[in-house]
Amino acid sequence: MKFILMMTGTKANWDEYSKWSKEDLERNVAFMRTFTKQLKDEGVFVATEGLGWPNQAKVVQAGKDGAPITDGIFPESKEFLAGYWIVDVENPQEAYKIAARASAAPGLGGKPSNIPIEVRQVLGGHADLGLYLPDL
Amino acid sequence: MKYILLMNGTKAGVRSYLEWSQQDRDDHMAVLQRLNKELTASGEFVATQGLAAPHEAMLVKGERDGLPMTDGVFPESKEFLLGYWIVDVATPERAYAVAARISAAPGPGGVPTNMPIEVRRFASHPERKS
Repeated sequence: MKFILMMTGTKANWDEYSKWSKEDLERNVAFMRTFTKQLKDEGVFVATEGLGWPNQAKVVQAGKDGAPITDGIFPESKEFLAGYWIVDVENPQEAYKIAARASAAPGLGGKPSNIPIEVRQVLGGHADLGLYLPDL
Repeated sequence: MKYILLMNGTKAGVRSYLEWSQQDRDDHMAVLQRLNKELTASGEFVATQGLAAPHEAMLVKGERDGLPMTDGVFPESKEFLLGYWIVDVATPERAYAVAARISAAPGPGGVPTNMPIEVRRFASHPERKS
């Protein structure tokens, strides 16, 4: 079963992160690199990506003529995806354990950040929710 | 430049989707599948995934006694990721144009959903080899 583990944050969270000391940032990045390597060694790694900052985010809707209407204004409460891992594991519990490891990534002063990680099963290439959600 | 196009929705949004007729769903998916084919043909397609229902979502926050601390309760207003497309395009404008195509996919009665699609650039990974 494939699961996506998502790290999200509001703009306020990103602002805090941007104030971390170089040492704290380097420790966090080193952890993330090691974590990815561990997932590969454990044979569960599928993919990982980090996303650009929320101030570059745009939301797009089709206009009447189908042309894109872009907007870069979001509510302060908006949770932006910061990055994700996709893992292939036997059951949800394994995915939760891996998420807990990501959540324990070192934060300020090297203490575990305990950042919440959202865990969702990934279904496949064609997102026909109707096929997968017979009764919600 | 790689961009991820995120389709988000609340639980209420997913529930209303489930009330669409099968014909409306088929028409919607046909348009999205055609788009995938076009993006593949143009060499811009990287990946697409649909996610399982929001009611299966779990939030994991740290661990206690070696066990993950999980929570499956979310506010009704929470935007869940429903699915995404990753494209490799020449300009941000092209990413917005692809997002608009997804947004214009037909909903009930063939009327475009005009669903908002969040467009985000991937962070650059100078150290990454692949």
